Amino acid sequence: MTRLEFWQGNTACAEGALAAGCNFFGGYPITPSTEVAEHMAAKLPKKGGVFIQMEDEIAGIASIIGASWTGARSMTATSGPGFSLMMENIGFAAMTETPCVVVNVQRGGPSTGQPTMSAQGDMMQVRFGSHGDYAVIALCPATVQEMFELTVKAFNLADKYRTPVFVMADETIGHMREKILVPDSVEKTGRKPFISGTPPFRVTDPDLIPGFPAFGTGQHVHVTGLTHDERGYPAATNPKLHMALVQRLVDKIENARDDMADYDVVNPDAEQVFIAYGAPVRTVMQVMHDKKDNNVGFLRIRTVWPFPEKALAKFKNAKRFLVPEMNLGQIAREIQRHVKVPVVSIAKLGGELHTPADLVTALEEKA
Amino acid sequence: MKLSIDENRCKGCNLCTKVCPYKIFREGKKLNRKGVAIPELDRPERCTNCRLRNLYGRQLCGVCQLTCPDQAIHWVEEEPYEPHKVAIEY
Amino acid sequence: MSYDEWFREDRLPHIYCAGCGNGTIINCTLAAVDQMGWKKEDTVFVSGIGCSSRAPGYILTDSLHTTHGRALAFATGVKMAKPAFNVVVFTGDGDMAAIGGNHFIHACRRNIDMTVVCMNNQIYGMTGGQGSPTTPRGCLSSTTPFGCAEPPFDLCELATAAGANYVARWTSYHVKELEKAVKVGLETPGFSFIEVLVQCPTAFGRRNKFRQVMDHVEFLKSHSLLKAKRDRMLDNHEHVPEDMFVVGELTKRNRPAIGVKP
Repeated sequence: MTRLEFWQGNTACAEGALAAGCNFFGGYPITPSTEVAEHMAAKLPKKGGVFIQMEDEIAGIASIIGASWTGARSMTATSGPGFSLMMENIGFAAMTETPCVVVNVQRGGPSTGQPTMSAQGDMMQVRFGSHGDYAVIALCPATVQEMFELTVKAFNLADKYRTPVFVMADETIGHMREKILVPDSVEKTGRKPFISGTPPFRVTDPDLIPGFPAFGTGQHVHVTGLTHDERGYPAATNPKLHMALVQRLVDKIENARDDMADYDVVNPDAEQVFIAYGAPVRTVMQVMHDKKDNNVGFLRIRTVWPFPEKALAKFKNAKRFLVPEMNLGQIAREIQRHVKVPVVSIAKLGGELHTPADLVTALEEKA
Repeated sequence: MKLSIDENRCKGCNLCTKVCPYKIFREGKKLNRKGVAIPELDRPERCTNCRLRNLYGRQLCGVCQLTCPDQAIHWVEEEPYEPHKVAIEY
Repeated sequence: MSYDEWFREDRLPHIYCAGCGNGTIINCTLAAVDQMGWKKEDTVFVSGIGCSSRAPGYILTDSLHTTHGRALAFATGVKMAKPAFNVVVFTGDGDMAAIGGNHFIHACRRNIDMTVVCMNNQIYGMTGGQGSPTTPRGCLSSTTPFGCAEPPFDLCELATAAGANYVARWTSYHVKELEKAVKVGLETPGFSFIEVLVQCPTAFGRRNKFRQVMDHVEFLKSHSLLKAKRDRMLDNHEHVPEDMFVVGELTKRNRPAIGVKP
């Protein structure tokens, strides 16, 4: 059963988290993500969860990592400047394989930039922002409905892969009110059970994910951001061990690229193909609707990281990919790595969405 | 009870020589295989805990153990237990 | 003694330098924890980065060794998510007073139910002896080669002003007093802060005329002034020497706390 609601994107995100069983929220107010925190502050305590407003975003993500180790499903929400502050602890979460969800309702940057305007400028930061090599999962909603669904999915992916998962929304989606169908219950996958008595970071399964030894279960697990062996003990001066550990952290996500891939393909035989994620998806859909041209294809991506490169191969006749983004071509460059045909970045900064005319102009320009 | 210093843990800081009220620990002279001069014990039977722990049934004094930063000082049961005649100077 | 079983025996000996007092503080804390009769699975030790923060790695409980300065923020998450846990935080002067200063005052303000043991060696030991916010005026370090020009933090005053329920200061020489203070801290609902001045022969002592461990410990012993005695001196309008520091139970009160065990 579902019910019909008219919600703001940020509300849908918070409701998605509640539906997914989120029981800890630690955050710090920042435009344009504040409504997520406000909604959680009102709803979470009634459901037996904990809402805490921390002193800054660094503390926000620190608190959700701490809570996650007690077994809680934890989440924080922020925007660009706060996201930059979180970077060190995101690396910590990746290194210690802590499941947690970070919602980034993106705004114009760099620095304070445009607090109330939309952007997609953090798409590379989310992938490479913390120091060292690691891999992340980033989901990009394009509608209020997806804001709900992808938040639920983020919790499930975080638990399954034991990694921080990012919902990379933008101000447009966060503050837009739209029709949404809310299901009564959602699918929840838990964390992989831990085999008592084995070393806490020992990996035996081919998916490279260790079981989760939550605090309080008597496993005496030592969680450290230092390079650690399978017992969790620091071994920071062991070159082979570091190589193996970092490689595994990356592989456990990169190997599951196809499982996580979430995209829609429209007109796979087309020669000109739009690729979009997040808010620009809406403009592309308008153009597709207006043109009704089978020679214009559309790849709509929801899982941006790890990038679903196999989706690009579906467009066998593609002569050109057009990528409208609200940044200076961050994902366009990633797409160019995977294809031989030209990739045209339709960059737009300033906070306004691409107009259909912008895209049509780009489409009609001869390469 | 008998005092024992764990040679694997002791790093030779000699803090025990400062804190023992009976001055049982003395700076060691001979280096062990790790290059650490383990403190020597001077008439360890004077130690309060060694003498009276079994009588009182609880830990007594224990300042050397609390102070030892390297967790090297312990008491071990003597087998078999021998009562000592102890002369204590103040 | 029974607190031995709280150590991860397979990880000892620890990495601390010969003569470092951090091991002493771990002993005293564990002795107090052992007297509380807590279960190991309900106890979590949290730390940040630095010499002090290696401590939880030697303790046989669930332990969280986190990023620089953020130990209190992580601990807040653990404690709020599971108030039934007993949370003890090991931290140092650089970790807590410099990079983690904001988290420190806010944890005090929230008066969240945890015990914080701050190993104050008045220097950054692990990075090789740079000046810290508690390096006394005039002391040498690798980043204050002409003597520290800045006044140091009084962490206990800071904790008291920010709202902590229990504040005490001792040194690594006063082991029995420290053990008792930590125990009172563990028993007190709300935020308990125990600052422990500790000798650092490698980074601090070497540059500041305490080349021998004994000299530094002797300094800590002879320059600590009991709170009662300090108060008496103040009442009698006597001069309190500047290089003395006050030890003892400095604050004990019962402000409303959060995260208290149900």
